[in-house]
Amino acid sequence: MTSLYIHIPFCKKKCNYCDFVSYPGKENLIDDYVEALCRELKTSPLSCASGAIHSPLHEMERGGTNKVSDGVRTIFFGGGTPTLLEPKHFEKIFKIITPKFGIRHSAFEISIEANPGTANKTKLKELRQLGINRLSIGAQSFNDQHLKTLGRIHNSKDIFRFYDDARSVGFENINLDLIFALPDQNLEDWKKDIKTAISLNPEHLSTYNLIIEEGTPFWRMTNFETRMMNELPIPNDELELAMYEHTIDTLIENGYHHYEISNFAKPGFECKHNINYWKNGNYIGIGAGAHSHVDGKRWSNPDKIEDYLTTPSSFLPLNKGENVERSETRGGDTLFLGLRMLDGLPIEKFTGFEKEVKESIQDGLLQQENGNYKLTRQGLYLGNEVFAKFV
Amino acid sequence: MPSKIRNFSIIAHIDHGKSTLADRILEFTHTVSKREMREQVLDTMDLERERGITIKAQAIRMEYKEHILNLIDTPGHVDFSYEVSRSLAACEGALLLIDASQGIEAQTLVNAQLAKQNDLVIIPIINKIDLPAAEPGRVAEELTATFGIEENDIILASAKEGDGIEEILDAIIKKIPAPKGKKISPLQALIFDSHYDAFRGVIAYIRVVNGEIAAGMNIRLMGTKGEYEVQEVGVLKLGLNKKDKLTPGEVGYLIAGIKEVKECRVGDTVTDIKHPAKSPLPGYKPIKPMVFCGLYPMAGEDYEKLKDAVAKLQLNDAALSFEPESSGALGFGLRCGFLGLLHLEIVQERLEREFKLNIIATAPNTIYKVNLLNKKSILIDNPTRMPKASDIDSIEEPYLKLTIFSPANYVGSIMDLATDRRGNFIDLTYLDPKRVMVVFEIPLSEIISEFHDQLKSTTQGYASMDYELIGYRRSDLVKLDILLNQEAVDALSIVVHRDQAYYRGKRLAEKLKEVIPRHQFQIPIQASIGAKVIARENIPAIRKNVLAKCYGGDVSRKRKLLEKQKAGKKRMKRVGSVDVPQEAFLAVLRLGK
Repeated sequence: MTSLYIHIPFCKKKCNYCDFVSYPGKENLIDDYVEALCRELKTSPLSCASGAIHSPLHEMERGGTNKVSDGVRTIFFGGGTPTLLEPKHFEKIFKIITPKFGIRHSAFEISIEANPGTANKTKLKELRQLGINRLSIGAQSFNDQHLKTLGRIHNSKDIFRFYDDARSVGFENINLDLIFALPDQNLEDWKKDIKTAISLNPEHLSTYNLIIEEGTPFWRMTNFETRMMNELPIPNDELELAMYEHTIDTLIENGYHHYEISNFAKPGFECKHNINYWKNGNYIGIGAGAHSHVDGKRWSNPDKIEDYLTTPSSFLPLNKGENVERSETRGGDTLFLGLRMLDGLPIEKFTGFEKEVKESIQDGLLQQENGNYKLTRQGLYLGNEVFAKFV
Repeated sequence: MPSKIRNFSIIAHIDHGKSTLADRILEFTHTVSKREMREQVLDTMDLERERGITIKAQAIRMEYKEHILNLIDTPGHVDFSYEVSRSLAACEGALLLIDASQGIEAQTLVNAQLAKQNDLVIIPIINKIDLPAAEPGRVAEELTATFGIEENDIILASAKEGDGIEEILDAIIKKIPAPKGKKISPLQALIFDSHYDAFRGVIAYIRVVNGEIAAGMNIRLMGTKGEYEVQEVGVLKLGLNKKDKLTPGEVGYLIAGIKEVKECRVGDTVTDIKHPAKSPLPGYKPIKPMVFCGLYPMAGEDYEKLKDAVAKLQLNDAALSFEPESSGALGFGLRCGFLGLLHLEIVQERLEREFKLNIIATAPNTIYKVNLLNKKSILIDNPTRMPKASDIDSIEEPYLKLTIFSPANYVGSIMDLATDRRGNFIDLTYLDPKRVMVVFEIPLSEIISEFHDQLKSTTQGYASMDYELIGYRRSDLVKLDILLNQEAVDALSIVVHRDQAYYRGKRLAEKLKEVIPRHQFQIPIQASIGAKVIARENIPAIRKNVLAKCYGGDVSRKRKLLEKQKAGKKRMKRVGSVDVPQEAFLAVLRLGK
């Protein structure tokens, strides 16, 4: 399976924790950007109809081990805030991708990230009608104070309205993104967020602990020695862990399948696009800052919108060929990505890493089950300790 | 006929202009032509030039007004005071060089006293009188008060401008006595330095006191008892100038197939096997390193490289000692002995710079005399080898006489600093209303842990210090062990005074808690004396460490984060079950008082 990722780097406002490729105040570039996306899509190394990859880059390197024969099956519009684009923009994009990949809506998972307050019912309806069948809402929290701290432009009411609108126009696969371990957040606050999320009954929930990334306003506001962000205390390891444990226990109790470290879904609603990432599958990224991975080759586009716009599409990808041909590197990628999924990976994939596996089992972080190695519950909390062994 | 030879050295504090004065003298006497002149001719090692100090003594012969002048350059740091004393013993006079704006510093005082003990004639010079901040009047008063020097004996000079050089040279001829040795007498020549040459072996620098030395002679070194045949003698100009023989009073070199500088010790006496002298020249002491530390290669596989490098340095540095040691924490390394902290730093720097080695140095310690209950005494240069407390009757440690020169307004802070470090106040003298000399007796171990840095910072850089060993004294010392996760870490053991044990143990445990990362299990840190735990900290177990975010398809970014974590682990040493970063081993050094 191959996946297609389309990046929309526009935002009304940059959130305090965000270090993704996204820019506020550049909406005037949207028309040009969509033109550029279309150009890149047309020339991208993905074939018509079958969806098989046939780029010269790929032809050269393939050497008879092409696993990408079954074409594109998932599309993901990520951001940024993709819902800042107008329906006419999406129409242009779909005009190219529908025939190119032979999209049969029912068999495809087509996701879009959306932020509350950036699309009204009409726009949501049009997106749904174009064939987008999965909506990932950046809720982050239902606590207005915390939303403010995060620098979000919406409040909890906006989330509820947005969610109801999405349901009413026919979205039957909705994800909510939530962040925990926020400054000044206690366990009770987080329990409330989880309770509220469950009450909305979404098909999918992604819960991420806050990571204070270098270069973000949060980074500048944080004193890492005192663990204070301005006047607000940052939860310690123990509290963060309690929040995470509560998340797992409560969501499982409520019928969600915990299928990846941070991801939960009603059975059958696991995100196929992301699973392809974790299986170290093939994907093509289109747009500024988008990453691609095809048969052991990784590359990415320029991060800056202006650079992306001025680069002739025939020259994309610019950073082509981060070479991961060394087999142990590629093996390592497959392992540290794959172990994120709770089912783990077949034992035979760990050939050459016997020592690392043994250590991890001794440390109580890895276990064997049904012919797979998978993280233990403790391993879920300390995943990096295991993953770092495989890089 | 009285000898026309004059042998002298220059006593000066760092930066008071010794090298510049030497350069001007060499120029004035046409020993070095303008063409050959480089800055600071005598300091040949890069390190010497950079630090502005002389590490190895050197000598050079000049001719001036039908006289032969031998300048014997002395090392400029307290670690090398024995070498200084031997260089001075080779002279009849010394130039006492004082900076006109700085005045007398501690080191100058100690060396000038050393010169007086050796009956040297002192020629006082106030240098840098051209500087705007120069106070020759005040400095002259200091000289009078400190050394009883007559004011009209003082020469005012500016070595930089070349002022006063002729006056200095004339004073050398007029005031410094000619050597007194007898030509027809058994040979006695003093070795005041040596260095190793890859082609010719050891080149010894000697001063002939009595008798004569010539090629072909069979000689004995009276201290080490080594016997050799002289291959060549000569005098020292910019290079080696071969001569038939050296006569009493002459300063020169000797080549005799000596293989290592260890065999050719500073202060030893050369004599003729056929007509040996009855006794050696006075003052010879075998060198004894006083400061020890473990040197370990950062990468275990570099051990052989480290050993070779230290052995190479030792070819030219008789004061450096080493033996293999192994540490449970750090693997294979070397226990090295040094004259003092500066000597240690120089060796460490040369290993890193000249041999491109990455090394970990454990906290330096001194050498302890341990008196056991079975009436035996042993010397311990490594805290890990300290016998069980139950076998020890008493422990003695080396004490110093510490002399500090400082502006008077810092006396209070200096008193605090020294007494906090177990110093006993001995004396306080006002040199003038604004400057004092304070004397303490203090354990050497207190000086080797950042004392000098702290003195400099409490006095804003104005104080200078010097010290001399005054012997061993009994102290109530205990060995402080550190246990990580119940396992003793030998490289972190220190010997401390019982009164300070609690404080240092607590500080050390706290520091270690800061620098050792969380592990998957809780790590107790304990500081103990024998079986008694005196301080305890806990590093809580790591509870959560997992990448939450997806980062889209950016796998490289995830991998980089994981690689960073992995690389961090690699830079640590695994001690038992605990990964300990390098900083932990340095923490011992930075415990304050």
